[in-house]
Amino acid sequence: MSEVINKATILDYIGSDIRSDATSVAIRAINMRGRDVIENVAFPTRKDEDWRFIDLKSITKNTFVSVEEANTAGHGDLSSHFLPEALNTRLVFVNGVFNKELSSISDLPNHVIVGNLSEYGEHDAVKEHLGTITNYEDDVFAPFNDAAFNDAAFIYLPEETSVEAPIHILNIFTDAEQAFYATPRLLFVGEMYSKATIIEEHIGLADNVYLNVPVTEFKLFAGAHVHHARIQRDSKKASHVSRPIAMLDRNAEYHSYTICLGAKLFRNEPRVIQNATEVDFTVDGLVLIDGDQIADTHSIMDHRFAHGNSHQLHKVVVNDKAHSIFNGKIFVAKDAQKIDSFQENRNLLLSEEGKVNTKPQLEIFADDVRCSHGATIGHLNDEEVFYLHSRGLTEQKSRELLVYAFALESVESMEVESVEKLLLNEVIKYTTRD
Amino acid sequence: MSEELNDEVKALESMIGEEYKYGFTTDVEYEEFPKGISEEIVRELSKRKNEPEWMTDFRVNAYHAWKEMKEPDWFNATYTSPDFENLLYYSAPKQRPQLDSLDDLDPNIRETYEKLGIPLEEQKMLAGVAVDAVFDSVSIFTSFKEKLAEAGVIFCSMSEAIQDHPELVKKYMASVVPVRDNFYSALNSAVFSDGSFCYIPKGVACPMELSTYFRINNMESGQFERTLIVAEEGSSVSYLEGCTAPMYDENQLHAAVVELIALDNADIKYSTIQNWYSGDENGKGGIYNFVTKRGICKGKNSKISWTQLETGSAVTLKYPSVILQGDNSIGEFYSVAVTTKMQQADTGTKMIHLGKNTKSTIISKGISAGKSQNSYRGEVKIGKKAHGSKNYSVCDSMLIGQECGAHTFPYISSENPTSSVEHEATTSRVGEEQIFYLMQRGISEQDAISMIINGFVKDVLKELPLEFAVEANKLLDVKLEGSVG
Repeated sequence: MSEVINKATILDYIGSDIRSDATSVAIRAINMRGRDVIENVAFPTRKDEDWRFIDLKSITKNTFVSVEEANTAGHGDLSSHFLPEALNTRLVFVNGVFNKELSSISDLPNHVIVGNLSEYGEHDAVKEHLGTITNYEDDVFAPFNDAAFNDAAFIYLPEETSVEAPIHILNIFTDAEQAFYATPRLLFVGEMYSKATIIEEHIGLADNVYLNVPVTEFKLFAGAHVHHARIQRDSKKASHVSRPIAMLDRNAEYHSYTICLGAKLFRNEPRVIQNATEVDFTVDGLVLIDGDQIADTHSIMDHRFAHGNSHQLHKVVVNDKAHSIFNGKIFVAKDAQKIDSFQENRNLLLSEEGKVNTKPQLEIFADDVRCSHGATIGHLNDEEVFYLHSRGLTEQKSRELLVYAFALESVESMEVESVEKLLLNEVIKYTTRD
Repeated sequence: MSEELNDEVKALESMIGEEYKYGFTTDVEYEEFPKGISEEIVRELSKRKNEPEWMTDFRVNAYHAWKEMKEPDWFNATYTSPDFENLLYYSAPKQRPQLDSLDDLDPNIRETYEKLGIPLEEQKMLAGVAVDAVFDSVSIFTSFKEKLAEAGVIFCSMSEAIQDHPELVKKYMASVVPVRDNFYSALNSAVFSDGSFCYIPKGVACPMELSTYFRINNMESGQFERTLIVAEEGSSVSYLEGCTAPMYDENQLHAAVVELIALDNADIKYSTIQNWYSGDENGKGGIYNFVTKRGICKGKNSKISWTQLETGSAVTLKYPSVILQGDNSIGEFYSVAVTTKMQQADTGTKMIHLGKNTKSTIISKGISAGKSQNSYRGEVKIGKKAHGSKNYSVCDSMLIGQECGAHTFPYISSENPTSSVEHEATTSRVGEEQIFYLMQRGISEQDAISMIINGFVKDVLKELPLEFAVEANKLLDVKLEGSVG
């Protein structure tokens, strides 16, 4: 620890006191725990292996204050962001603060909870699971969220309950006079054989600087079944460092998709922990970046027990001066036999000044497994462009169409129709360049 | 077929129990040299080797650079770091006579060679392979020199090259692996004992395959080889390197530096079989193999190809690399790394694409058995100006047994939109269905496994020169004997 003393901590970039005024004992305990860590653990630099390719300047050159001190602007009419499928299953957080008026919860099955966590501090599931799953080593971001969060989304499904409508967690970020930090959080506890679809969205309304540090915790008991889509459309000047983690019990299924469209700096570290035998999970991603965006995904598929299927398809399109980083790890513990895991990372580099780093990683300690990965970095196939060109499309249009087709695969697996439509529009917006 | 199999079974049987065939030492008197490292030691070493001043300065500067550097620890391996103050940095057989024929050789050394299976006499006639046998750091014997000289090829020990061809050594040494490149290259630059120097002049296809047999024989003597191969415009050469070492308890350090330079249209093929002592069942003893190997395709249309079969050493850290600077140049890396017992290998390659239309291929096969850890660590980098470049990598790992591990760490980056990189990796075990299929045809389980493994590594072994390919297959069988099934 002595080495750490002279190094910067995350608090060096935070301009406000981080106080815990949570009334819930469970939340306050997590706040305290986080504080201890962030005061002592050094902020990452490029000398750290896990951070060597990423430029963290958009965090380190700023000072972020709390939302209260930032003089935030209003959010205006948000109805265009509401999903028609989730009209009565929606939680809205503005700059990390729960907004009851915009949220709408009704018609839920008995004993299902979808609400603000700070109101459920005494719930057994909160006391038992909040803050217990995150396991990021030498991390400052999850502890920062621990220290600073108060409001959070809480979803609880009792045994053998399924919520048919998708649950929409909408995180809105508004314009502000000063750069601010926000710490959205989501705790999901699904008891045995429960089922739900979660759409977690991050939307920046303006073009301002802020630091978004979300943590999502998914605890799935035996046989629970969850689809989790994460759509990141932060402001193009924002920094977003997220820690989504899921812990799966026997026979649980967890399918996650992360779509990265916004933010100047996006660092996503999804982790799925197989905590019992016979699970099935997906950690897919689609990254569409241009301008000077940086998108970095460090994922871990952590197989700790035998018999599991996992799959990852991470697609990336890089244009202009954007920089994409991918580091996907498949980990198979000793004795975790009969794991079938596949990871695929496909990168499309469209510009002279763009850059792609990828490091698919296998760490295997069991012998009876089938684990593989593939990674490609490439460009559009000239013959395909020519083919479309010869059918009367301009070369520009041909290229756009091919990029669109490349991105489509990741969007099509989206279960909710309106989300699929929204994403298709985003893809078209990205591919169409004048 | 059945007869062949019978032969194979017999061959296998004869190898059972063959622990380490080459574990023995020869009593040769050694000129005493103090242990440890300091500027004085480096100067003394240079003096004993009768080196010119520029070489002494090179060593001393390297020593000071090394002093400032930190021992790296980023490998996926754990080991006690070598005690650099307790190593012997120079050892040479006492007599170093100029020999005209084999009969003049110290009989003890001669015997060692024979035990090792290096038939110097026969090789002259049979294989057409020139052997520069390095016996504990100092070259004693170089054959076929005249034949090579006729073609204009310079093939000699590094010490001779420093004396006879200083202009070439000065120009190329440390031009691919700079002194400060890494901790071990700096150490090697300061204290390198000897090694091979090879220069192929313009337009010459080297008339024979060049080979060196390294052998560490002096207890507690680290061996610091230095090899430099320069292929001038339009020339080609194939170089073979094979290693064995005696069985000792003390960890021995081997920190070699190999540099390859290929100019326009030149072609260098470098093959290695490494079978140093890997320590016993409990991980005691064994060689530390920390080697820096790098080639540069400096000229247009040049090609460098590394092929390696790594079966020995307690700890192997080795990344033979190619810098593809010339347009249309080609880099290749074919590797089989086998680890058993407590061995640890962290090996792979780097392909740095700088020139236009450069191509690289990486085929890496890792087999881990026992309690060993086998890691592939590679880097493929496509630079901004490397238009139209291509890379294709395959890294397959096979696990045998439940206590070993296989790891893949490929670093891939591209800054060019007209280039493409493809990488794939798999980890699996010897398939039960495959074994069943073969056994059902009347093949024993052991043979079936052996056949499957040979099939697994075939893509790489076929790249080895013929002399090595035979040895390689035998080595694999012996190495994995008993760990499968």
